[in-house]
Amino acid sequence: MEKVVIIGGGGGGAILANLLPEREFEIVVVDREEYHIFQPGYLWIAFKGWRKEIFMKPIRSLLKPHVKFVHGEATSVDLNERKVLMKDGKELSYDYIVIATGAHLNYDVIDGNRKILDEFGDFYSTVENAEKLWNAVWRTSKGNFVIGVADPIYKCPPGPHKAAFLSSELFSRRGLKDKVKVVLALPFPHSYPSKTIADIIEPELEKRGIEIRTFFTVDSIDTENKKIVSLEGEELEYSVATVIPPHEGPQYEIKPEVKDDNNFVKIDKYTSQIEGFDDAYAIGDCTNAPTSKSGVTAHLQAEVVAERLQGYDARYSGRTNCPLITDGKGIFIISDYDHPPVPVRLSAFKRLLEDLFLTTYWGAIRYPELWQPVFHAYFNATEPGKLVELGW
Amino acid sequence: MGEIKVDARGMACPGPISALIRAYRKANNGDTIEVLATDPGFKPDVQAWVKRTGNELVELTEEGGVIKAVIKVTAKK
Repeated sequence: MEKVVIIGGGGGGAILANLLPEREFEIVVVDREEYHIFQPGYLWIAFKGWRKEIFMKPIRSLLKPHVKFVHGEATSVDLNERKVLMKDGKELSYDYIVIATGAHLNYDVIDGNRKILDEFGDFYSTVENAEKLWNAVWRTSKGNFVIGVADPIYKCPPGPHKAAFLSSELFSRRGLKDKVKVVLALPFPHSYPSKTIADIIEPELEKRGIEIRTFFTVDSIDTENKKIVSLEGEELEYSVATVIPPHEGPQYEIKPEVKDDNNFVKIDKYTSQIEGFDDAYAIGDCTNAPTSKSGVTAHLQAEVVAERLQGYDARYSGRTNCPLITDGKGIFIISDYDHPPVPVRLSAFKRLLEDLFLTTYWGAIRYPELWQPVFHAYFNATEPGKLVELGW
Repeated sequence: MGEIKVDARGMACPGPISALIRAYRKANNGDTIEVLATDPGFKPDVQAWVKRTGNELVELTEEGGVIKAVIKVTAKK
């Protein structure tokens, strides 16, 4: 039997572990955390006050019984020796390795970023920080609530927009629509990374009185004077602010050097193979693949790697399916390596699909083989090449 | 005075402008940043960016489907 070590028990790692056939592989999942978090849930905790327990489950409970779970931290991976060194000194050897540890959020690049994280929390990093943000927005009764971004590459591109819609809904419901202004500050020329999507979403943001600041890349935060300064030379006052920090790849050592300038693991964007190795893969937010850092990417790359380990020639198309929800409607931002995001219509039905996803999520992680035909039918029906012609 | 080269050919919107923003973070006044891109949206984007930030657009050309923008960094604080 061949031994597969998967570092990371998030969406990508867990789906891959559960997809690999028990008869062919000995499977080990390593994670320094004990709990798997449904990360879009941070928004629900931060802006709707939902309980954090809804969005977390022990990693062990999400893995099939034959998958071994090691609760511990990897400190070094040696791709030549086929070994993973753990913090407690133990070593794991492997026949195949898959790196799936997500993006590292670096709050120390931008002056003041850690300070506002400590003060207000965020909707991005942990359930505790999401709870902190709920308390901060709940206490706010006037001024600007600023949602900022420090680097154009961040996971879940519609995340800040969802935060803007949900927080504006919350302030409206509390009767504070005229007192608290939601400000969405983004590095891009338009209100969304893709102009096609910006054209759809901008009127919705404006309708709700959300102020959009384009070409605003957060450079520093002056916590004393409560001002955010942009790389482009502008300023923004806040009473509460949350800034998505620069992302980086894995912080642990990987030998030989296979990371880019930002520590992202360099892979073949179709096969997920780490450059120069046929027994090492990386999936999800930790890679340099030129696609959105999102759950769907991790999920589809996990399927590709599962197939490849079994000898099939599977390839990832770069497909994204990022949900962007307003207070009552939604769209999915659909693209792949060959197609930029296609124009789509906002609808209540798509919002319903996103809400349904929350209820299917744990099942999709635990039993990916049962959900695969359902997801595949959906992905086939909504291929970007088809949607360009048909519309959706 | 450094010269920073950014190859954003093949990247879809907003890849090239994002690459420029990332290069700009590391740049100093006096440096030049040269960006190559194939996404047609980059042309208006870089013009708008220069206008907003107050840096100097030294060159903006298009040849054989490749857009080349050369920016002199002058507005960093």
